[in-house]
Amino acid sequence: MNHQPITRRSFFDSVGHGIAGAALAQLLSHDLYGEESLAGSGPRPHHTPRATAVIHLFMNGGPSQMDLFDPKPELDRHHGEAHFDKIAGEVENPTAAGALMRCPYKFSRHGECGMDVSDALPHLATCADDIALIRSMYTVNLTHEPALYKIHSGRQVGGRPSMGAWVTYGLGTENRNLPAYVVLDDPLGLPINGTQNWQAGFLPPVYQGTRFRATGSPVLNLKPDYEQPDSVAALKQDLIARLDRIHGAARPGNPNLNARIAGYELAARMQLAAGDALDLTQETAATQEAYGLNNETTESYGRRCLIARRLVERGVRFVQLFIDNQIFDNHTNLETGLKGACQRTDQPIAALLKDLKQRGLMDRTLVVWGGEFGRLPIAQLPADKNPSGAGRDHNKNAMCTWMAGGGIKGGTIHGTTDELGFAAVEDRVSVPDWHATILHLLGLHHEELFINHAGLRERLTSVFEANVVQNILA
Amino acid sequence: MRQFVQPIANVTRVGAAFALLLLATRIVHAEEPVLFETSVQAIFRAKCSPCHSDRTAKASLNLSTPAGILKGSESGEILDAETPADSLLLQMIADGLMPPEDEPQLTEEEVAAIRQWVTGGARFAKSSATDQPQVTQHDVLPILYLRCTVCHGLRRREAELDLRTKASMLAGGKSGPAIVPGDPASSLLLKRIHAGDMPPRRELVAVSIKVISDSEIETLTKWIAAGAPEVPAAPDVPAEGPDRLVSDEDRDFWAFKPPQRHAAPTVRQADQVVNFIDAFLLAKLEAEGLTLAPAADRATLIRRATLDLTGLLPEPEEVQQFVADPDPHAYENLIERLLASPHYGERWGRHWLDVAGYSESEGVQHSDKPRPQVYRYRDYVIRAFNDDKPYDRFLLEQIAGDELADYESAEAITDELYDNLVATGFLRLGVDGTFANITNFVPDRLDMIADEIDLLCSTIMGLTMKCARCHSHKFDPIPQRDYYRLAAVFKGALDEHDWLSPERKSGAPGTSDRYLPYVTTAERTTWQANEQRIDAAVQAARQQLSEKQQSAAQKLVEQRLAALPDVLRDDLRAILATPDVQRTDVQKYLAEKFEKQLRIDAEELKKLDPEFQKAAADAEAEIKKLESERQPEPLIRALWDRGEPSPSYLLRRGDYLNPGPLITPGVPAALTRGDYQFNAQPPWPGAKKTGRRLAFARWLTQPDHPLTARVMVNRIWRHHFGQGIVQSLGNFGRTGSPPSHPELLDRLAVEFAASGWSIKQMHRTMMLSAAYRQQSSATPDRIQRDPNNLLLSHMPLRRMDAEALRDTLLQVARRLDRTMNGPPVGVNARADGLITAAEGEQGFRRSIYVLQRRRQVPTILENFDLPQMNPNCIERGESVVAPQALHLLNNGLVYELAGHFAARVRQEAGDDRQRQIERAYLITSSRPPTAEELAVAQTAITDLTAAWEQNAAKTDKPKPPEESALASFCHALINSAAYSYID
Repeated sequence: MNHQPITRRSFFDSVGHGIAGAALAQLLSHDLYGEESLAGSGPRPHHTPRATAVIHLFMNGGPSQMDLFDPKPELDRHHGEAHFDKIAGEVENPTAAGALMRCPYKFSRHGECGMDVSDALPHLATCADDIALIRSMYTVNLTHEPALYKIHSGRQVGGRPSMGAWVTYGLGTENRNLPAYVVLDDPLGLPINGTQNWQAGFLPPVYQGTRFRATGSPVLNLKPDYEQPDSVAALKQDLIARLDRIHGAARPGNPNLNARIAGYELAARMQLAAGDALDLTQETAATQEAYGLNNETTESYGRRCLIARRLVERGVRFVQLFIDNQIFDNHTNLETGLKGACQRTDQPIAALLKDLKQRGLMDRTLVVWGGEFGRLPIAQLPADKNPSGAGRDHNKNAMCTWMAGGGIKGGTIHGTTDELGFAAVEDRVSVPDWHATILHLLGLHHEELFINHAGLRERLTSVFEANVVQNILA
Repeated sequence: MRQFVQPIANVTRVGAAFALLLLATRIVHAEEPVLFETSVQAIFRAKCSPCHSDRTAKASLNLSTPAGILKGSESGEILDAETPADSLLLQMIADGLMPPEDEPQLTEEEVAAIRQWVTGGARFAKSSATDQPQVTQHDVLPILYLRCTVCHGLRRREAELDLRTKASMLAGGKSGPAIVPGDPASSLLLKRIHAGDMPPRRELVAVSIKVISDSEIETLTKWIAAGAPEVPAAPDVPAEGPDRLVSDEDRDFWAFKPPQRHAAPTVRQADQVVNFIDAFLLAKLEAEGLTLAPAADRATLIRRATLDLTGLLPEPEEVQQFVADPDPHAYENLIERLLASPHYGERWGRHWLDVAGYSESEGVQHSDKPRPQVYRYRDYVIRAFNDDKPYDRFLLEQIAGDELADYESAEAITDELYDNLVATGFLRLGVDGTFANITNFVPDRLDMIADEIDLLCSTIMGLTMKCARCHSHKFDPIPQRDYYRLAAVFKGALDEHDWLSPERKSGAPGTSDRYLPYVTTAERTTWQANEQRIDAAVQAARQQLSEKQQSAAQKLVEQRLAALPDVLRDDLRAILATPDVQRTDVQKYLAEKFEKQLRIDAEELKKLDPEFQKAAADAEAEIKKLESERQPEPLIRALWDRGEPSPSYLLRRGDYLNPGPLITPGVPAALTRGDYQFNAQPPWPGAKKTGRRLAFARWLTQPDHPLTARVMVNRIWRHHFGQGIVQSLGNFGRTGSPPSHPELLDRLAVEFAASGWSIKQMHRTMMLSAAYRQQSSATPDRIQRDPNNLLLSHMPLRRMDAEALRDTLLQVARRLDRTMNGPPVGVNARADGLITAAEGEQGFRRSIYVLQRRRQVPTILENFDLPQMNPNCIERGESVVAPQALHLLNNGLVYELAGHFAARVRQEAGDDRQRQIERAYLITSSRPPTAEELAVAQTAITDLTAAWEQNAAKTDKPKPPEESALASFCHALINSAAYSYID
């Protein structure tokens, strides 16, 4: 590549071979974070994008499909009948397995499309015509950790780049003062797999998701841990810059040194920009109310949904929301537990969809909702075997997800599950299909977005066959 | 396409179905059928047979005979009975994958002919339906291993039943024979399966077994129905007959041939040559009209060499001494001093821990289970580097330490025996979720084994072996068979059907079945002595207290008795002197009645007797202190051969449900001359070990091994010169980068092996070269002619890595605790996610001794590219991102260290500002500031002093502004590029 014009992706091809340093830094300072890109090689989609930003509402724990989006009258009919032997190999906790269990909530039809949504999600139900529901999604592992790796990074193992990292690798950012990929995790704690859920893996580390805390200082070390007059801070910044310029001038041909100066400048800009993006006092009382900021139950998630909107408004490419404590992992007390999880998230999510629409951001923002797997039609019994405290165990064979916004045909229902909701049967959507669809909407082709790593042409969809779910596209 | 993705449990069954389909289509179609012999055989012979014949069978595919075509490839069937158009054969052609792009291509007519033949039913003139191979024990055994033998096999024999061989099935268990050949209906095995009793559904997860599938049951049924035929096993054995999968042409690639000792070329600037390295480099430089850059000054050299070899900065006195040293061998002496420093092992041991994937937790699950006592491996590595342990021995120990010497019947565990076992921890470092039932199924175990094979091959052999887990390597001559040969090598210890879980099953708390008790006799004795000392001291303390209690109680009793009438007093005294059983009824009555007066328990005594209360508190404190001095039982996390591995099968497409041919252990054929006999023997008489890993390790460490020495010298080179001679450190194959200086690489490799595999000797060779001593500043000419510095026309400028940055910050602040070895230092997590290593009384220990837990990496190290171990790190990145700046600017600890640094400067340089600046530069950059730097620094400190002065007016107890200003300057200095970059 010595005398060839460097293209961005050809450059990153060679990263795996260990020459990341110098040129990489230049790209980072002038391309990823900068106004100008290398001649003719800026991050560019493969085809016309339908959306330019993503908000991924990740529902930790695996929300129950047959209790929210996929009504199963057969479950009512066969409620209480033994079924375990037919699905023994698919049950994580066989000793706790109970009989078939009906949905504790009522379903009704919503919107012009007549989408079935249970009464656990009254707010989202009012957005039925905006969302495309996938009822036939499935995954490959029924344990949280591997299933999380699968949905976030394409394979069941750690160490691979997450979807947000791939997207920013493919498209770069539109705001040079903020990270391109922001994670809004729950202040109450990290999800399972921790920061690995948003890692860059074998992509350059700059594509890793940056955690923004919803309250206090949004980024680690963003503000000094100590007391210092502003004038001293400014003098120090200035001194570092002067010394680094002297140092750099004596060492020409080292773009890393320029990148370092840029890094210190970005750090200073970020202190301002991040603070501004997270300042929710700039929002009207009506908006705050709509997101549920005045209500204890919805405040935390509502705050993050509102921040998500402010971030995509400012050109952040990929925003990902996590919830602590696996609130959708309803092994016991499904009726109250799932309802509680919905109560925390339902109103904020509906408010986000309406707000995006109202501000004209919906056309360029893709909102994605879903967990790492679905749940079983049979009950999981608590230790005392009392069915009144029953929940549902993990299920990799069926799960519901939905998308809304840029490029999505609202009011669509895609795919079906069997009569008990145990497995997706028609128009099945795999995790790679789901990834390919999201990339497609962003103007990226899953086979063309790759990096050469350790002898392999690595992609988000890895070696798996993947097909875009055409049916949900507008 | 789905046909090929779904596992096909029984190849022969599908094959039979295909044959039936052939017969069926033959009847339906009246027109002349398209036959193999008349339509495509000639095409296959011309375009496919060079690689897929009975002589050469790439991907185990033989397209020259009907049987070969029906048998399919390592990926399974190549013809799809149900949807012929989806056949793998057609897919490979349609996708342009076959023939390979550098081979003669098929014409359109030929493609059409093949398509027509396949979609027409793929018919042959001679019926091959009768040639179908029958179901044999090798179709059945993998199923039984997968579903049954965990309870009915080697380790457990529920109902006295062993299902591992036909003979043991016939012998049966408590309920009689498991199978009746020829009579599936009477076979207990099938009866129990059909009744749904076996494998027991509710207990599946507890033993990590999945439900047996219908197709598997069908295979079992067929086998029994056919009389349970046992055909003589025809396993793949290395070097028996010509290799159909790897040819001599395949081996004709530089990295697969032994390195040669090339003579150093003659160069024009012979005066620049210190050793052969310079000659090889100069030859290429001169061809580009360049030379080596001038030598760097001594201040630069000592900083470069010290950071390189120890990861620390040279102390100011060391710099001054070296710069002024009149000895012509001053530089050589410096290198010797640094190589002898114990910090050398910490630095270079860390490089090895990266490639070994060192981690002190299991990963996978959220709990990120800790791995107790793994630090022994870390200390072993540090010790090995410090002792300059020969690299071949280093590898032997790590790959097969358990097979080097008998430790079980040794009279004493010596340092050597201990090292042998600790070293095997190398193969136990991977990400491993098998501690939990739900992540301990066979595929999970296979993933873990795959990680270890991948790690070993990429790290030590520079081969991307993992590709061959699912299919023959697309670019290198590594057939899938060779991957499974390696898997078989490790099966004595890593057997997916005989798994040692990291979960504790027995032994000491916090440990698991993966631990061995064979620490050195000295350590065990010390530990035992300590335990005994504590036991004895605790007992003594208790005894003493009890005596005190007795006498204090007696005194009180006496006082109480004194208050009673004389008569009673004497009687009660008599009662007290009489043991319970000898008391008369009257005495018993009295004893009960006056119990309160006579019996005083410890709690009451404490209330009544302040002196005893204090004694009791003292004793309890002492016991507590003593108990805290207990140490966990010393144990070694090791890997060892267990003697009876299950049979190895090639797994088609890497799918554990799709076993192929039986495979025996061996080494990658491309790295041999094709006649290499893999000969594993129990390592000593009576050893219950296969000796497979030892045989492999001995092959790997032959002096003329094509890759072992090359890969290691290339790695050492990378750490000295910034990039490898082969840039892809873990990939020396065809998709890796070709060596920039192949003869130099070879020469280094040969010298390395010839020196007795001395790593320190390699450092000397590289660091004494003129190349290493070059300046780092590049002239425009050099930048233009050697833009990526591939020719090494100057020394690359490098950034300190994560550990060097953190450790030197502690060093300049005089907060570095240089204690070596032992259990790791814990980390503290702040609510916002900031992770910091704990501080001890002596300060902070070096980063290598900080707990290496996957989920809790100290933030400063993570920000500066400390890698995540998934499973290991072949080469670290060097990122330049804003969080680094934020950390060094805003982090409280860094700020505090800057304050310590400033205090040190004041102490060493006094109050003179210029001397302070000069001292600060000497400490951090090992040189005085340039005139420009000095001027900027002086102005800045003046301004900073003014700013702090202004601030002082607003504060109650202000520090002297000069001191604050110096601290701010020092803080800026450690934030500057001059600090973290190495010339």
